[in-house]
Amino acid sequence: MSSLARQRWTLATALVVPLLVLAAPAPLHLDGVPPSWAVLWLLPWALVDGPLSGAVAGFALALALDGLHPGPLSQAPALVLLGWWWGRLGRQAPLIRRSFNLGLLALLGAAALGASLWLQQLIRGLGDPAALHTLLAQTVITALLAPTLCSLQLLLWRRLSPGNRG
Amino acid sequence: MLTPGRRLRLAPRRLVATAWPWLALLAVFGAVRLSKGAAVNDAYALLSRPFWPGTAQSEWLRSAQDLDRQTRLQQLEADNRRLRGLLDLDRAAGAAALSAPVISRQAGGWWQQLVIGRGGLQGVRGGDAVLAPGGLLGRVASVTPTTATVVLLTDPSSRIGVWVGRVRHHGLLVGAGTSRPMLRFIERDVGVRPGDVVTTSPASTLLPPNLTIGVVQRVNEQAVPAPEAVVQLSAPVQAVDWVQVRRP
Repeated sequence: MSSLARQRWTLATALVVPLLVLAAPAPLHLDGVPPSWAVLWLLPWALVDGPLSGAVAGFALALALDGLHPGPLSQAPALVLLGWWWGRLGRQAPLIRRSFNLGLLALLGAAALGASLWLQQLIRGLGDPAALHTLLAQTVITALLAPTLCSLQLLLWRRLSPGNRG
Repeated sequence: MLTPGRRLRLAPRRLVATAWPWLALLAVFGAVRLSKGAAVNDAYALLSRPFWPGTAQSEWLRSAQDLDRQTRLQQLEADNRRLRGLLDLDRAAGAAALSAPVISRQAGGWWQQLVIGRGGLQGVRGGDAVLAPGGLLGRVASVTPTTATVVLLTDPSSRIGVWVGRVRHHGLLVGAGTSRPMLRFIERDVGVRPGDVVTTSPASTLLPPNLTIGVVQRVNEQAVPAPEAVVQLSAPVQAVDWVQVRRP
């Protein structure tokens, strides 16, 4: 586990995600659909702290979020893969700090998360005619919020963990 | 017919001149009789219009009608309770409702649920019905000591049996992820049409009976294997801050 995760209070910030999911602030909804708070927290974390930390954080976050929702759908597969992928990007790719890049990564992440939930619905026979609408709205609002929220988090995590590339 | 030699005798001119007002009066009264008093009624209406009863009287009438309806409703409910007791279907008849605040509302997105501020300590159990002014909202899916998670009728995982009273048919209300769930039938010819009221089944054991759910908005008769209908829920999910929890 890399340096950011060793500072325990930084991991505690993940608790904000389920609280935001429950609070569901209406002004940040797009056509009634909230952003993916998990993606918005996980993206800067994984970019700074690496693939292993990203995957573990994604799994832990998914466990907490799945507990909030009754029903068979799980966010764990998508969040683990996204955490690992963003962690590798943070290690291998040139420094990611531009707002457009963050927005694009968040867009791809929210779309992948939505697609995994939609796929699970189809596999379990839970027909959801509004799935495409939900996926598109959540992807767009997440991508719009990412440049602001993820930039601030990236700044904070990089200050706390100067050794990591991110 | 006149016989030859006899002259036609007319009434004296003086008599006619004297009696014509009476004849006119008789003609007028005869016309009134033949028209069944139409002209008199219209004239009376025209003359008496300034003295017609105002809105105050119509409000009295309306309040009297409301009182009459309330009384009849109470009598019908009492009858219903008595008959359900005779049929041993009175499990929910005396069930007290528990009021609960809505502390989290997720009516859009992948999950459609509420979190309410009453839980196991207050007697809430899984499967309890959750109502808002207007009708049924959903069912309790999980309970913590102080909160309960309610799956809304619009959630894709929600499936409950319902009753369309006008056509006396059961159906399955399936959440569609939108604000309007789908009503699926088992039989082919159900005769449901827009405007029909959907309630919980009068003989339901999983939910309190006869709770209003919504109104049929659109019917797809061509659906295979049986017709489907779109239901507009009567309880406004976005607007409620307090709900009632009722045991089935």
